[in-house]
Amino acid sequence: MSKDLLNKKKSKEVKIFCDITKCVGCKSCEIACAVEHSQSKDIYSVVKESSRPKKRVKAQSIGKRVVSLHCQHCEDAPCVKACMSGALSKDPATGATLHDNDKCVGCWMCVMVCPFGAIVQDVENHIAVKCDLCPDREDFACVAACPTGALFVGTKEEFEKKLKEKAKKE
Amino acid sequence: MKYVIIGGSAAGVTAAETLRKYDKKAEITMVSDETFALYSRCLLTYLISGAIDEEGLCFKNKDFYKANNIKTYLGKKAVAIDAKNKTLTLEDKTAIKYDKLLIATGASPKKLSAPGIDKKGVLTVRRIDDAREIISMMDKVKQIAVLGGGLIGLRDAYALRKRDKEVTVIVKSPQVLSQMVDKEAADIIQAVLEKNGIKVKTGVAAKEILGADSVSGILLDNGEKLQCQMVIIGKGVNPNSEIASACGLKVEDAIVVDEFLRTSDENIFAAGDVAQTHDIARQVKRVNALWPCAVEQGEAAALNMSGKSKAYDGSLSMNSVDFFGLGCISMGITKPKEAGYEIISKVNPGVYYKKLVLKGNMVTGMVFLGDIKAAGIISILIKSRIDISSIKHLLLEDNFDYAKVMPLVADNQEKFSAEEYKDLMISF
Amino acid sequence: MSDKHIERSADPASQKMIKKAEEENIKIAWDRYDAMQPQCGFGELGICCKICNMGPCRIDPFGEGSQTGICGASKDTIVARNLARMITGGAAAHSDHGRDIAHALILAAKGEAHDYALKGTDKLRRLAKVYGITVEGKSIEKIAEELGEACLAEFGQQHGELRMLSLAPQRRQELWRKLGVSPRGVDREIVEMMHRTHIGVDNDYKNIINHGLRVALGDGWGGSMIATELSDVLFGSPEPIRATVNLGVLKEDHVNIVVHGHEPTLSDVVTDAVKDKELIDLAKKYGAKGINLVGMCCTANEILMRHGLPSAGNFLQQELAILTGAVELMMVDVQCIMPALSSVANSFHTKLVTTSPKCIFPGVEHIQFHEEKALEIAKKIIRMGVENYKNRTKQRVNIPPEIKGLVAGFTTENTFRILGGKYRFTVRPLNDAIISGRLRGAAGVVGCNNPNIRHDWAHIEMVKELIKNDILVVQTGCSAIACAKEGLLTPESAFEYAGEGLREVCEAVGIPPVLHVGSCVDNSRILLILSSVVAEGGLGDDISDLPVAGAAPEWMSEKAVSIGFYFVASGVYTVFGTPQPVIGSENVTNYITNELENVIGGKFAFEADPIKAARMMIEHINKKRAALKLAGVMYEKTANAKA
Repeated sequence: MSKDLLNKKKSKEVKIFCDITKCVGCKSCEIACAVEHSQSKDIYSVVKESSRPKKRVKAQSIGKRVVSLHCQHCEDAPCVKACMSGALSKDPATGATLHDNDKCVGCWMCVMVCPFGAIVQDVENHIAVKCDLCPDREDFACVAACPTGALFVGTKEEFEKKLKEKAKKE
Repeated sequence: MKYVIIGGSAAGVTAAETLRKYDKKAEITMVSDETFALYSRCLLTYLISGAIDEEGLCFKNKDFYKANNIKTYLGKKAVAIDAKNKTLTLEDKTAIKYDKLLIATGASPKKLSAPGIDKKGVLTVRRIDDAREIISMMDKVKQIAVLGGGLIGLRDAYALRKRDKEVTVIVKSPQVLSQMVDKEAADIIQAVLEKNGIKVKTGVAAKEILGADSVSGILLDNGEKLQCQMVIIGKGVNPNSEIASACGLKVEDAIVVDEFLRTSDENIFAAGDVAQTHDIARQVKRVNALWPCAVEQGEAAALNMSGKSKAYDGSLSMNSVDFFGLGCISMGITKPKEAGYEIISKVNPGVYYKKLVLKGNMVTGMVFLGDIKAAGIISILIKSRIDISSIKHLLLEDNFDYAKVMPLVADNQEKFSAEEYKDLMISF
Repeated sequence: MSDKHIERSADPASQKMIKKAEEENIKIAWDRYDAMQPQCGFGELGICCKICNMGPCRIDPFGEGSQTGICGASKDTIVARNLARMITGGAAAHSDHGRDIAHALILAAKGEAHDYALKGTDKLRRLAKVYGITVEGKSIEKIAEELGEACLAEFGQQHGELRMLSLAPQRRQELWRKLGVSPRGVDREIVEMMHRTHIGVDNDYKNIINHGLRVALGDGWGGSMIATELSDVLFGSPEPIRATVNLGVLKEDHVNIVVHGHEPTLSDVVTDAVKDKELIDLAKKYGAKGINLVGMCCTANEILMRHGLPSAGNFLQQELAILTGAVELMMVDVQCIMPALSSVANSFHTKLVTTSPKCIFPGVEHIQFHEEKALEIAKKIIRMGVENYKNRTKQRVNIPPEIKGLVAGFTTENTFRILGGKYRFTVRPLNDAIISGRLRGAAGVVGCNNPNIRHDWAHIEMVKELIKNDILVVQTGCSAIACAKEGLLTPESAFEYAGEGLREVCEAVGIPPVLHVGSCVDNSRILLILSSVVAEGGLGDDISDLPVAGAAPEWMSEKAVSIGFYFVASGVYTVFGTPQPVIGSENVTNYITNELENVIGGKFAFEADPIKAARMMIEHINKKRAALKLAGVMYEKTANAKA
């Protein structure tokens, strides 16, 4: 399983999808993301940390429809084009949109152009933060925390297949 | 194929990178009149403020040219184009043959014609050398006057204030950032600047720069005299389009290009601050001298140069600033002058000010101050020019986010063509 | 500026204050509701369990992930336990209120609470009979003391049955006994439910829900009924009375005091305290024309029913009253008092005062209420309000002009006196009207407000639809206030909104088509009205035979859940607006919305659309009429009845 995930993490075709019909807006992904990006990575300790960790995923809703949304790691990423400090770049191997905290000057040009509103301002440290695909763990914190399986890791084809199977069952 | 690019900043570098991405064999040559390469001009004020060092200025890896197999002429100014013979001549008489040429020469600071402008200590911030000179003078300078209350002037002032200098900004208009934001936002920004020790004088201009060899003060047109040991001119830029005019290319406010970034010569392209392109919000030809536009244009020009016909959608004037933790993003039309526009706004005093400019149920401009997190989502609404009437009441809400526009995306798939939008909509 | 204020409330006065809040950037319930979106689906579905420390556990509603808790509890068990604890919370709140009234009655009877008189002597004698207390040769005080003690004892009673269950129809009592749901004591059932829902105890969802019925009955026929009946003894039974409602009752040139919460013990004394000449003179000294006392939420209903004092509004208007900038002081006791009040009050000069040791707000002045010194404490609080008048910022005062008249003060006893005319103290005319088809039936529309549905809208739309179809509506609590603001609680409204049959009844008797029977504990009055109707004869032998229905279209509190369950347990079909958190278990949902009807004669339905919900109630009433083989509805038009 973990090897499979590791391979998936390295594959360019693999993304995190959110099945909107299964997202119930519990915000577990938000908490898991914040904890993963904290110093202690422990929920009981996080609340005491001086610098509050920033979640990079947000459960958003319109009417009764909820979606857990994070950086889409766009192939043609507007944030990378807008970044004037070179902090944002594309990983040629995995296709991930990478962000280098040290290079970031907090100009918010990326916030200005991200069509998904997926870049978060860490105001305390005056840098942008975004989904980094959890480099410290083999899987993804948000996906691991999702109790309904709404968050799915795989290729677009795999995700579509899963949706079709589900529709068939219903 | 021989590609030659004049200019080594956002548009030029992106063009070179894009050309190499699609053509591993092509001969790519870059010419720049600066020796310090691959640095971001926009970061010069961060260098001055001390937030970053010279290393931090670079937006590409040091080995960029080598890794991409690009031949460079650094520190050499391109002086003439022979369009007929497809040859570029440098100041040292070097002649470079090209099949396709990209002019990405950028822009230069606007000049000021006041007496005393040539005194020592009167500077602009455009190039690395300017920044180095300012930094070298920091110990000797206590008071600084910045001429210009636009984006450039204020960024310069902010950086110098971070160096604990006594900074006074001289603004000819009745408000700061008059090109970027409306009066309401400008007043809030000005108040924050003043609270943090930057003096702002609006509605006045410099009449004369005083001093013997070096600057000792400045005389304003209201008769007031200010003591200062440095004057920074931060009043906007003019495109470096002389080389294009000289070889007969069509030039208006800047080099005129078509939707493929092609100039009036089929083998010559232009991109970045030197090009006059389609403005999406205003629906006119305009120069949007902005980093993201330069990158987009550099990429699009490169694709067209290499024969992949790629129309450029046009640019959207947009800017982001952050002064003392107060973020501000503006886009498109922020102060409509004609009738037919609708303004909606929301204010939370001391926290945020948000305004949208609508026309015919489309968003054409915005100013977000204090709460800028949803600016990018607004940008796609402006760019896609779609009817937002169904979500109009949500646009300025504190919890406005991408989910709120998903029904619009679902109904207007053709206007949101990128894969990422589609991926997200699969289960919607 | 957006039309948000119009979307948020159907009440024009509230709309104005919501708009003001938006303009002044004061966050109110609706803003907090927006900020809370999306709300957690596990909570909405009832499938999150936090009962023990192995958890929290959550059941995947889509069937792929965990289907049981760590202890092995199924979604049925988890949903049932959570719902049961909601019932228990609501029953505890109502019952504790009842306990306080019993306590006050005893103090008053013993002469230890001088500021209370025993005003309801008729009722006292009737209740004494119910409780088997002999009255001969005893003083009123002695009877009251014995009654108070008898009621108080019922909270801790361990076996037998609550005495007031005997007021229910015989058939109903027998059914309860057969099912084993007759409450033995008020507290006992509450405690037992906390035990049953502890980790590793009751795992049969039906068994859990059935005990929930028992807890709820201990509320409706116990705690709440004690609260209502003993309040009538202590403060006198309400009589029909004209009053006014909505934010317009606040007066720009007066010191405005708002009493908010639920229990009448303090508020009733406050009505005397504001008549104090010294305080009125003080108010005048500060430039006010006098002291204006108004109520909010169910405290409003208590003083409205008995004193005709104006009501400033219902649950979602508590912050809005402060937003008028004209409230000098808001005193609160218990229940439905938003913690946010303290921050909203801080945005104005309004002084917030808590009075119950059970309800303390950090940073808010607390003046503890004691029955023994009731008037003195009431005056002390009023004085603080008067003193605060000088701090009012005139420029920030915007009192919406909206004000409506209403008639309140209907009770089990007087409703029928009115219907029967002066000489007939019976419910016969009501039964006759139903039997003849002049009235289709009756409905209780009660409950709270909730920002998840447009404020007041569901109450108003539902009630209009019901009275249009010749259904006499009785109301309590925030629902009554909602309809009062729309003018439905006036005799005149019969002409505008009621169907022809109902209009004839209203016209003949001079009553509104919508009867206000009190605060939310006074829902117990509705139980007694239904029992009287059964006793009168001709409409079956049990409450579940009656052509009646209940509804809580904008419910939010645990109390509403408990009320719903004691109505269902008493045999009433009850429609809630948004669903109770049970949808995560098909079994529990099916049990309470379907199977329960065969068990206990009543069941739930969930329907957020108030018109659809009203149609469901009408259909149910038609079904019951058909079962009783009653005549057709006299003025039935094919157009407005699909059944």
